[in-house]
Amino acid sequence: MLLEVKDLSVSYDMATILSGISINVQDGELVGLVGPNGAGKTTLLRAITGLVKWEKDNRRGQRMGKITLEGQVSFMGEQISNLSADQIARRGLVHCPERRRPFKEMSVYENILAGAYLLKKNSPEFKRLLEEVYSLFPILKDRGRQISATLSGGEQQMLAIARSLMGKPKLLCIDEPSVGLAPIVKRELFERIAAVARSGITVLLVEQDVAMTFAMSNRNYVLSHGRLVSEGTSEVLLQDEDLRKSYLGL
Amino acid sequence: MIVLQKGVRKLWELILINGLIIGGQYALLALGFSLILGVARVLNLAHPAFYMLSAFTIYTFSQVLDFNLTVTYILSLVFMIGLGVVIYQVILAPVRAQTSTVLILGLVLGIAAQELMLIFYGGQFRSLTRLASGTMQLGDAVISNQHILALSAVMLSLLGVWFLLFKSRFGIPIRAVAQDREVANLMGIPESRIAILTMAVSVALAVIAAAMVAPIGVIDPLMWLHPLVIVLTAVILGGLGSIKGSIMAAFILAFVEVSLVFLAPGAAFLRGAVSMFVMLTVLMFKPEGLYGVFMEGER
Amino acid sequence: MFAYLARKIWRDFQGEILALPTRTILFAAAVALLLLPLVTDDAYLLRIVATASIFAVYAASWDLLVGFSGQTTLGHSLFFGIAAYTAALLNLRFGLPAFLTIPAGALAAVLAGLLLSLPALRVRGPYFSLASLAMPIILMGLIFSFPGLTGGEMGLSGISRLAGTRTGEYYFLLISMFVLTLLMWKIATSRTALIFHAIREDEIVVRVSGINTTYYKILVFCCSGFFAGMAGSLYAHFLRVVGPSTLDIMMSLQVIIWGIFGGVVTIYGPVVGVFILYPLLEYLRIIPDWRMLIFAGIVVVTLRFMPEGISNKFQDLLERQCPRCKERNIFMRKECRICCTDIGTCSRVG
Repeated sequence: MLLEVKDLSVSYDMATILSGISINVQDGELVGLVGPNGAGKTTLLRAITGLVKWEKDNRRGQRMGKITLEGQVSFMGEQISNLSADQIARRGLVHCPERRRPFKEMSVYENILAGAYLLKKNSPEFKRLLEEVYSLFPILKDRGRQISATLSGGEQQMLAIARSLMGKPKLLCIDEPSVGLAPIVKRELFERIAAVARSGITVLLVEQDVAMTFAMSNRNYVLSHGRLVSEGTSEVLLQDEDLRKSYLGL
Repeated sequence: MIVLQKGVRKLWELILINGLIIGGQYALLALGFSLILGVARVLNLAHPAFYMLSAFTIYTFSQVLDFNLTVTYILSLVFMIGLGVVIYQVILAPVRAQTSTVLILGLVLGIAAQELMLIFYGGQFRSLTRLASGTMQLGDAVISNQHILALSAVMLSLLGVWFLLFKSRFGIPIRAVAQDREVANLMGIPESRIAILTMAVSVALAVIAAAMVAPIGVIDPLMWLHPLVIVLTAVILGGLGSIKGSIMAAFILAFVEVSLVFLAPGAAFLRGAVSMFVMLTVLMFKPEGLYGVFMEGER
Repeated sequence: MFAYLARKIWRDFQGEILALPTRTILFAAAVALLLLPLVTDDAYLLRIVATASIFAVYAASWDLLVGFSGQTTLGHSLFFGIAAYTAALLNLRFGLPAFLTIPAGALAAVLAGLLLSLPALRVRGPYFSLASLAMPIILMGLIFSFPGLTGGEMGLSGISRLAGTRTGEYYFLLISMFVLTLLMWKIATSRTALIFHAIREDEIVVRVSGINTTYYKILVFCCSGFFAGMAGSLYAHFLRVVGPSTLDIMMSLQVIIWGIFGGVVTIYGPVVGVFILYPLLEYLRIIPDWRMLIFAGIVVVTLRFMPEGISNKFQDLLERQCPRCKERNIFMRKECRICCTDIGTCSRVG
C-alpha cells in the first residue's frame, strides 16, 4: 500500500472540515477524489501533504482560532503525520496545489528548476526527467524564458504539473487542475494526466468534473461535508442512483 | 557620517565620493533588510541595529581585546550571524504571522541593543581602526585607501548577493520561498531553513557595512536611527520586493543627502526632511515605487 | 420614575458591564483612578496618571486609524505635534484661553488628517506607512527652519494652565480621557466603522459595492486626527512646554508600541497599553541606565508570548464567543447568556 490515511480529522476553530476520513491508494493506481464545493477535498490533500500542519505552525499569534489535526497518515509504510511539508515532499509524495500557483515572477524554466530542488542540477537524472517533462508538455520548452505570470491558465496548470513531476513523485496529488479551463484545454490536460499515470506514477486526482475523472480513474472516493460518502470503481459508483443524483450530479 | 576629504578640493568630487560610499552603506543595509522582508516576510526594524552592533563587536574585538584585524572580522561575522539567527529563531519567527507585532518587536530589540551598548560603552563617539592607511592619486583627486577599500567591498558584496540570488544553487529556492512560501514547501524546499540562511546573509551584509564603511566615520550607540529611516525609505522608494530598486533608491537618497550637506551646509539639519520629501514626491507620481510591481493578489 | 430609571441603569450596568469580566475590570480600574486623589496626594503619581490619560487618548486615536481601518501610519505624531504647536502658538501669541486653543488644536489636526489622507488615497499598505512617516519629519524640518516663530529646538514654553489646582487638572484630564475614548468606542462600533473595516479588508470590493471609499478614508483620517489633536493640545496645556519632541519619530513609534502591546482593534486595548507601559517607564527612572533596556525586555517577552496584545489575550482567556450569536460570555458559562446556545463544549477562541 502506497498511501494509507486513517481516521483523519481536521477542524478550524469550531468548524469541523474533515471527520474521520480513511482512504488508501495502491501502487500504480489513478484514484479520483470528487465531491461538491466545501466537501473538504482540498483540506484532505493539504492534511496529507503536511500543509495543514505548516499552516498551524505558522499561524501562531493570529486571532483566528485553533487548527486541530488528528489521525494517521502513512506513506510507503512510514508514518508521515508528524513530518513537515518539505520532508514529505522529499519522500516522493508531491502535491500540485490548487489554483496552480506558479512562482509568478520566475521564468518557466526557473519554475521547473525550483520543482527539481531535490535533484542536482545537470545530473543525468535531472536531464532525463527534464526530457520526459518536455515531451509531455512540449509547450513549456518553447516558453522556457517567459515569466510564468504571463502564461495562460492552461499553460500555468501544465507548468504546475511539470514542476511537481520534477520532484520525482511516487504519488502525485493534483488539486483541481481543470478549474477555469476551456473544455478543449481541459480534455488535453486530462490526457496528459492519464499519460503521467501510465508512466508509472500513482496519481490522486481531486476534481469537480466527475464525468472526466470517472472516465480515467481506477477507483474513486466521494466526499461530502467532511465525510466519506462512498468509494469504489467508476462503474459501481455510477450504478448507484441515489449517489449519482445527490452527490455526483450526473 | 559625512567625512571631509583632505586633498580633494572640488565640490563635485566630494559629493561623488561621499555619495558613493554612503550610498553603498545604505545599499548594503537596504539590501539585507529587503532580503529578509522578501524571503521570510519579516519586517526586521532591528536590521540597522545589527549594523550598529557589528560596529561595536568589531570595536570590542580589535580595540578592547586587541585581536588582529583578520581574526576580528571572522569572529565578528560568526558572532553577529549567530546572534542574528538566534534572535530570528527565538523571537521573530514564532510570531511572524502577526506582522505588526514583528514590527514592534524589531523596533524594541533595536532599542534594547542601543541601550545595552550605552550601558557598556557610553554615548561618546568612537572610531574603528582603519583597515588601510595612505592615499591614492586618481587623476587630480587624492582618495584615501580606506575609501577605495570601502567602495570596492560594497560593490563586491552587492555583486555577491546578485550572484547568490541569480547564479548560485541557493538562488532558485530563495526566490521561490520569497514568492510563495507554501508552495515552496511542496517542492521539498525547507522553507524555514531558507529563511535562516537569508537571515544569515542579511546580517552578514550589515557586518560588511560596519567593517568597511564604519571606520571612515565614527560609531556610537545611536548610529542606527538615521539608517533605519533611510533603509525604510529606500525599500519603499525602490519598490517593495525589488532588490534593484532598493539599491538604486539607497544611492539616490545618499546623493540627495550628501549634496545637501555640501551645497548648503547651513541646512544640513534638513537632510532627513529633504530625503523624505524626495520619497513623497516619487510616491505621488509612482505609487508602486521605482521598480515595484503591483501584484494582482496584493492590490 | 426615578426608581424606574435607577433600576434601568442598574440593569444595563449588570448586562453590559458586570456580565463580562474584562469590562468589569476596566470599570473597576476607571473607578479606582477617579478615587485616586482622595487616597493619595503624591504629586508625582497623579502627574503620571494625568499624562497617561493624555497618551491614552492619543493611542486610542491611533487604533481608530490603524486597527479599525488598516491605514498603518508610522507618522501619527503629525497630529499630536501639529495640535500641540497650534494650541501653544495661539495661546502664547494671541493670548487665547485653553477652552479655545484646545478645539483649535484639534481642528488643526483634522486639517493635518486631510493632508495625510492625500497620500493614503494614492498609495497603499507599506508604501503609505512610509509616506506617513515622512510627514512629521518634514514638518520638523519646517519647525527648525523658522526658529523665530516656533522656538526651534528649544520649543515654546509658558503656556497657560488647564485648571487652577493639581487635582483640578487631574480630573479634567481623566474625565476628558473617559469622554473621548467612549466617543471613539462609539464610533468604532457604529455602522460607519463597519465600512472602515471593510475598506481594511478589501478596498476594491467596497468600492464596487457602490461605497465612496475616498469619502470614508478621508473621514477616518479626520476623525483620528481630531482625537489625536485633542490629546496634543491637552498635552501642550498640561506640560506647558511644547518642543520638537512632540513630532519626533519616537513619538510615532511609541504609540505603536502602546497600541500593539495593549491589543489592536479594541480602542480600550491601547488605553490599557498606555496605563501599563507609561507608568512602568516612568518608575524605571529609579535605575536610569537600565530603564529603556528593562522596558524593551518586558515588551519583547510579552509580545513574544502574547503576540495578539495583552487585552486581547485576557479577553480570550476570560471570555468566549458564542458561535451562534457572536455575543461574548464569561468563560464559566455553559450556555450563551443571550441565545442560550450550548457553548460548554466548544473551544475557546485563540
